[in-house]
Amino acid sequence: MNYFPDEVVEHVFDFVTSHKDRNSISLVCKSWFKIERYSRQNVFIGNCYSINPERLLRRFPCFKSLTLKGKPHFADFNLVPHGWGGFVQPWIEALARSRVGLEELRLKRMVVTDESLELLSRSFVNFKSLVLVSCEGFSTDGLASIASNCRHLRDLDLQENEIDDHRGQWLSCFPEAYTSLVTLNFACLEGETNLVALERLVARSPNLRSLKLNRAVPLDALARLMACAPQIVDLGVGSYEDEQDSESCLKLQAAIRKCTSLRSLSGFLEAAPHCLSAFHPVCHNLTYLNLSYAAEINGSHLIRLIEHCKKLQRLWILDSIGDKGLEVVASTCKELQELRVFPTDLQGGGNTAVTEDGLVAISAGCPKLHSILYFCQQMTNAALITVAKNCPNFIRFRLCILEPHKPDHVTSQPLDEGFGAIVQACKNLKRLSVSGLLTDQVFLYIGMFATQLEMLSIAFAGDTDKGMLYVLNGCKKMRKLEIRDSPFGDTALLADVNKYVTMRSLWMSSCEVTLGGCKRLAQKAPWLNVEIINENDNNRMEENGYEGRQKVDKMYLYRTVVGTRVDAPPFVWIL
Amino acid sequence: MEKGGLELEITELRLGLPGTEKMMKKRGFTEMIMTSSGSNSDQCESGVVSTGCDVEKANESPVAKSQVVGWPPVCSYRRKNSCKEVSTTRVGLGYVKVSMDGVLYLRKMDLGSSQGYDDLAFALDKLFGFHGIGVALKDGDNCEYVTIYEDKDGDWMLAGDVPWGMFIESCKRLRIMKRSDAAGFGLQPRGVDE
Repeated sequence: MNYFPDEVVEHVFDFVTSHKDRNSISLVCKSWFKIERYSRQNVFIGNCYSINPERLLRRFPCFKSLTLKGKPHFADFNLVPHGWGGFVQPWIEALARSRVGLEELRLKRMVVTDESLELLSRSFVNFKSLVLVSCEGFSTDGLASIASNCRHLRDLDLQENEIDDHRGQWLSCFPEAYTSLVTLNFACLEGETNLVALERLVARSPNLRSLKLNRAVPLDALARLMACAPQIVDLGVGSYEDEQDSESCLKLQAAIRKCTSLRSLSGFLEAAPHCLSAFHPVCHNLTYLNLSYAAEINGSHLIRLIEHCKKLQRLWILDSIGDKGLEVVASTCKELQELRVFPTDLQGGGNTAVTEDGLVAISAGCPKLHSILYFCQQMTNAALITVAKNCPNFIRFRLCILEPHKPDHVTSQPLDEGFGAIVQACKNLKRLSVSGLLTDQVFLYIGMFATQLEMLSIAFAGDTDKGMLYVLNGCKKMRKLEIRDSPFGDTALLADVNKYVTMRSLWMSSCEVTLGGCKRLAQKAPWLNVEIINENDNNRMEENGYEGRQKVDKMYLYRTVVGTRVDAPPFVWIL
Repeated sequence: MEKGGLELEITELRLGLPGTEKMMKKRGFTEMIMTSSGSNSDQCESGVVSTGCDVEKANESPVAKSQVVGWPPVCSYRRKNSCKEVSTTRVGLGYVKVSMDGVLYLRKMDLGSSQGYDDLAFALDKLFGFHGIGVALKDGDNCEYVTIYEDKDGDWMLAGDVPWGMFIESCKRLRIMKRSDAAGFGLQPRGVDE
């Protein structure tokens, strides 16, 4: 290859798109490193504190798309206090100062301000795509800047963000001449929507493929929007209720029938069950169905809808569907690859909506299943062993038994054997979340068999440090390990410091790790940022003199090439 | 060799009745709940926790389970939007549904953003683009529409009778109804000023 001119090599590299592969290519030799650097279009940074914008620009001067992730995963569950970090502003400032022609920005769990969005909208002439997932810190004013200034915007995709809705006119900020919209997702906005502006925008967007509406878009507006955009592929219905009459329903049915390209359906933030049947004509084409916010639709209506969805590949649903409903899914959706069953009752009221039977039925009926997230009240080892036999192809297996420490409800045994069967059978397993009563044994199995495992989530499990050691020693490909409320301490944490070079991050909260242990780790491993999140009393940890043995409530460590971050709030100690 | 060693470990871990050893060693979930809610703080003795009575206590108060931060692991956006949460935590605060006779679709409005009945009347006018609602609230007898609300007990009451604070705490939804229809509706009697 070295006898070819650079342009030829670069052309070959164009066919290599995955980050991992490109990273590998760059390690082959200096020449390839250089060529790859200048031709990298998409940069993925899994932890925004592992590197800084200056170094990013030095390495990849010509990229067009940047993906950044900020807070650790457990921030989704309120375990990371407000103000911890993950600010995008310094990144946008640095990119704006440079001459990089940014076209796409994808952020997850980051703090974004209106100022950031304004700067973004003004700094990159060819900016096309903004995807914000689980971000916070901005308002509809920021969206107005994007709408006003990004002439070539194709995608504005806001997923599950906390947005301060000023109920302004951001939708009317898209210029009249602007017609390039492909994706518009504002489902997470809480406030009123300017329906007139929305309808006009949709009417002048012939390339619109994905439209996800918020609660404030009522049924008749939905009908009009669908009539304007029959080419739609991905639809998020907002508020889907109509108490008054069926005229709206008829108009909607007529509009829906024309949407022959529709493949993906979600939303239903509030839903009138009787109108759900309006979607039956398009169900046979659907590949993705998300009804996980539709708590007001009972199981039988859900089932009636799903019976028509023979081509479904991804299904997100609430446990109100019940085991019977899951049996219908198993017999109807033979193409199913991903299933997520969310809990309706978060208070642990004890209703057994879905059990191990539903999971077994799905595993038996859906041969292509490779990803599952399943919330349930009870589980047995026997069921998990059967699931493992039926489905050896799992890549992601996340089981959440709602009550911590709950054993096999038939034998009262820990669930070690069940999860053991899963990791032994599923040779390609990359992500695993365990729950229920678990001893160190399950971690022995995970360390032995889960050779491809990259992400592991542990809560209320294990007995001694041995458990964590089995995992750290066995899972060579581990990247992200997150542990809460488990009795793992300093011995496990400090056993092999070099492990943290190949891992992106480790989270441990409410475990047995001490401040002394964390300090020793920080000393041994200067390439790590070891952060202690201490919300209670900033000074209590040093004062009482027992700091060596003082247990740390939350510890988050991650590898970095740029040392201690400068934007940490007072309640975060970086050792 | 190694496998032999592992087998020994396996048998080691299996000694004793299932359930007892583990409970003794680790900080039980139930114990954590009890200490975090302020009771039974003296049960933490040199790391050994007896969870016998804790289990009973946990059964008595299942509500305590839900106080563990971040459990079950459902992301906060989904928690806020799960309908059960919406209906139980948003009574009186934030959004209530407002329907008006003759209007095809429901609207939602944020009660918390109004300061009093006058404010509410103005907001309703804006919501439906209709000028008569404000009058309905204040004068009662002189206009075509009445504003009624469903309270926490499921009863329908005329809006405007109770003090504002009491109203926003108990109002679950609003309905603007034609006066002519209201007569046969079964509104709860006014109480004092009839």
